[in-house]
Amino acid sequence: MSVTTPAGVGSLRDGLSFRDLAHRIVGGIFVLVLLSPLILVVLFAFSDKAISNFPIEGWSLRWWREMLDFEPFPTALLNSLKIGLAVGVLAAVIGTMAALGLVALPARRAQLAMTIFALPLMLPPLFIGVMLLVWYLFLKLQLGLGTVVLSHLLFTLPFVIIVVYARLASFDFRTVEAARDLGASPLRAFIDVTLPVIRPMVIGAALMAVALSVDDFVLTSFTIGGGNTLPILVMSSLRRSVTPMTNAIGAMLIVSSIASTLVALHLTRYRG
Amino acid sequence: MLSRRGGYLLILPAAVIYGGLFVAAAIYFFTLSFWSVRSFRVVADFTLKNYVKTFTAYLGSAETTLLIAVAIALSATLLGFYYAWLIRFRAGSWAPALLFIALITLFGGYLMKIYAWKTMLGESGAINSALMAVGLIDRPISALLYSPAAVIITLTHFLLPFAILPVFASMRGITDAEIDSARDLGASRAQVLKDIVVPRARPGIMAGFSLCFLISVGDYLTPLLVGGKMAMFGQLIAPQFGSFFNWPLGSAMSFSILAVSLAILALVYAALARIGRP
Repeated sequence: MSVTTPAGVGSLRDGLSFRDLAHRIVGGIFVLVLLSPLILVVLFAFSDKAISNFPIEGWSLRWWREMLDFEPFPTALLNSLKIGLAVGVLAAVIGTMAALGLVALPARRAQLAMTIFALPLMLPPLFIGVMLLVWYLFLKLQLGLGTVVLSHLLFTLPFVIIVVYARLASFDFRTVEAARDLGASPLRAFIDVTLPVIRPMVIGAALMAVALSVDDFVLTSFTIGGGNTLPILVMSSLRRSVTPMTNAIGAMLIVSSIASTLVALHLTRYRG
Repeated sequence: MLSRRGGYLLILPAAVIYGGLFVAAAIYFFTLSFWSVRSFRVVADFTLKNYVKTFTAYLGSAETTLLIAVAIALSATLLGFYYAWLIRFRAGSWAPALLFIALITLFGGYLMKIYAWKTMLGESGAINSALMAVGLIDRPISALLYSPAAVIITLTHFLLPFAILPVFASMRGITDAEIDSARDLGASRAQVLKDIVVPRARPGIMAGFSLCFLISVGDYLTPLLVGGKMAMFGQLIAPQFGSFFNWPLGSAMSFSILAVSLAILALVYAALARIGRP
């Protein structure tokens, strides 16, 4: 509670006002509703029952065992990891290069460039998905993990560029000039001076890219041509009857994406 | 500091990906909408029949889709505005935690959220079983799942962070001093909201609303999985690139709904620009 606001002054005078209490309750409900679907999936993944509902009568790992025995699971997991890793590394390298290039430009032009780079994020994924599908087929590219990685770069690059650029915008480039004056090559100066400063942002943004990539279903399903990833497995089980095994796959996806997001937010101090 | 030429050189790989995947693909995709399909082959000619078909055969579905998308964008933006307002003006030491939760739900979990709502809204799902356990209802409410309401609930939940974050970003610029002086000069809470907070947060409100609206218009998975018999426009577009094999029609449908959506957004902007003007 900020004491400078009128409500804050009021609450100092007569304790917790009714208005404040109401806001707290509604805020609590918001948090509950935002998080509960995700929490429930994780909870039900450990439930013994064959239906995902309350009351949970017993806990077990049977759905996790079933997931491991599920025939398409290992390939799907491996594909998701391959795509996520490739997207993370490529987005980090290409995005950091672009961010370094953008700080050399006038700020207004750099902002404009970043807005343009972020355009694919504002369109519905379905449009981007079908657009890329027909474009890859026109170019006669072999659909597969490679085309999925390309597609994912389109919506993960803007995150890397924006996060790394934000750090570079307040970076004192005289330190790089000093290194150059003392005889360091441009690459040496980058590795020894610039990189240590931006490293947390680069790693954090790469983790965001991995989280977004591993989570994607729409672009992946249109551009993979065949083959599975974890979200594609979830989708196919959603279309048929839902078994609680899906909860286990889902819980894995949710926990890994929240974990990488937490690390990413900590490293980048990115706050929206 | 790099030279400007060196700067452009470093941007080149990202620009090539953007140009080669997004710009070139968009131009090709748009051209495609004027072509036609004969015996399962795409033929390059110039015809407007795909657009004619879009605006005759699919008008009903487009109307439903746009209405539902407006409802979702409105509810997500209103709820998101309130949540952002809580973070900025009311949450105090809880603010970072609330912001954190919004950010966590932004990254990851699109399909899982639909899946979670599907299991929660079903007749034997978490909501019905919890309501029955508490004794509020005797029989499960079957209309929760497979209805437009389920689509609106699911997508509003998914899109909330997309509304919260831009609105909050634009509220950051409002200082406590501005609010305090307005209050000291006798402005009511409602006046402060109408004359200071909303006008200052307008760019964020517009960005949040547009994002929620456009994503809802193009969404096809949510109605497919929780919408029951209803068909949103995206569900008609997707099969044109699969089993129906009519890319030109699918392309015309995509660009038509996008154009109409942008026109609606322009109207919303004009309306919103009037709020809080002296």
